[in-house]
Amino acid sequence: MMMEQLLQSTPSWTNVAIFFAIGVGLLLVVLGFVTYGILAERKVMGFMQGRIGPNQVGGRWGLLQTVADVLKLLLKEDTIPKAADRPLFILAPVIAFAPAFMVLAALPFTDALQFADIGVGLLYYIAVSGLTTIGVVTGAWASNNKYALLGGMRAAAQMISYEVPLVMSVIGVILLSGSLNLNDIVEAQKDVWFIVVQPIGFLVFLVAAVAELNRTPFDLPEAESELVAGFHVEYSGFRWAFFMLAEYVYFFAMAALTTVLFLGGWHPLPFLGFIPGAVWFALKFSVVVFLFIWFRITFPRVRADQLMEFGWKVLLPVALVNIFVTALVKQLFF
Amino acid sequence: MSGQYIAFFVLALIALGGGIFMLNLNKVVHMVVALVFTFVSIAGIYVLLSAEFVAAVQVLIYSGAITIIMLFGIMLTRHQDDGQSTGSPLRKAFALLGTVAFGAVMYIGIRTLDFGSEAVGLHDKNTEQIGIAIYSKYVIPFELASVLLLVALIGAVILAKKDDKEAGE
Repeated sequence: MMMEQLLQSTPSWTNVAIFFAIGVGLLLVVLGFVTYGILAERKVMGFMQGRIGPNQVGGRWGLLQTVADVLKLLLKEDTIPKAADRPLFILAPVIAFAPAFMVLAALPFTDALQFADIGVGLLYYIAVSGLTTIGVVTGAWASNNKYALLGGMRAAAQMISYEVPLVMSVIGVILLSGSLNLNDIVEAQKDVWFIVVQPIGFLVFLVAAVAELNRTPFDLPEAESELVAGFHVEYSGFRWAFFMLAEYVYFFAMAALTTVLFLGGWHPLPFLGFIPGAVWFALKFSVVVFLFIWFRITFPRVRADQLMEFGWKVLLPVALVNIFVTALVKQLFF
Repeated sequence: MSGQYIAFFVLALIALGGGIFMLNLNKVVHMVVALVFTFVSIAGIYVLLSAEFVAAVQVLIYSGAITIIMLFGIMLTRHQDDGQSTGSPLRKAFALLGTVAFGAVMYIGIRTLDFGSEAVGLHDKNTEQIGIAIYSKYVIPFELASVLLLVALIGAVILAKKDDKEAGE
């Protein structure tokens, strides 16, 4: 509501300052999530493997471990290989990170806490997140390193293959809610969450989302055992941190998007409406984050050809059937 | 000066800058990256014109898919990626003449162009309006376009298959 007023007022430096402050605020929240998201990931992975995980820096729970890691990264020497393509090498992390932050603007966290109520919010998310791949591929090419290039190529192929089932799987949701607007989609789930009505769509979406995030079992672009480190082999220090940051911001965004599309956003479970929407959103969001971490620790990495085959021959047909069935159901019963 | 004008100037500047950089850079990959900036800022201009659906699709198709395919093609085919300028002075003169003529024709064409009254209510449920228009008023062109795409898809499959067979022999 406040955003609406701001957007429609006359431009002035005060407004610029306010927007800037809001942007910085969001960035800090996201940085906070990334810091503790990584710690949570390491802790959960540790427990699942019968280890303890970080427990030295910052007390028994290792609360300052990631902070220390980031500080180390920032103090590291910033190297640019001699044979690298200098301008692109510098530009690539920026191209990779900027869209990651841009998609956050469209996500509705609660009915009041949202930055931009875009009519085509869902399409905006998918379109803008595709831009990151350009950053990854240019970074890989600019490194002038064969492992990096292979990783970049894999990233591009994977993104193209899995964006198709990702979009197809949410068409069921769009059909049922009749809108591309994320607010309307959440509103349509007031009574029943779409995970109940669209279980197949949800599964396809979840698999495609993990693939889009380049996380295990689909982490081929940075498969450390085959490609050293994938597209960011030659990157170090601050620039490398930007690639990692982009990855975890997408983690944040994708978990939020899953919550919005299938888990009813900020809507409570029946009889529990007294708990505020923000808490509900955070709870569902945390469940999705935990699920992604669980995937990472459970599944082995798939082979490149299996990846392509699975995307095109399994996920896409299933998603298409799901659209067909959803359209039929909607015509007959709604 | 309203915010819309400022946004338009910035976007137009980036779009033109991207285009000029694309023509002047030497490496093909640099050109593609410059092109991305043009694509994205054109999407921004669509947003200013209340065509948010077209803007999102522009980013999705041009900046996302097509650019990736181009980068893919360039990187997988090893060739001399430093282009050097070719052509005699005469050819350059003709190119200049052609450019000036094109510019003049476009200028004259656009100057007297009349779009009628400005459409109102475009920003209201933009996507829904496009959907209704496509599926009620323009069904046949839409279907023809889909058939054309299908033909291109099958053609690509056949080309790829033939190549595979020859390699196998």
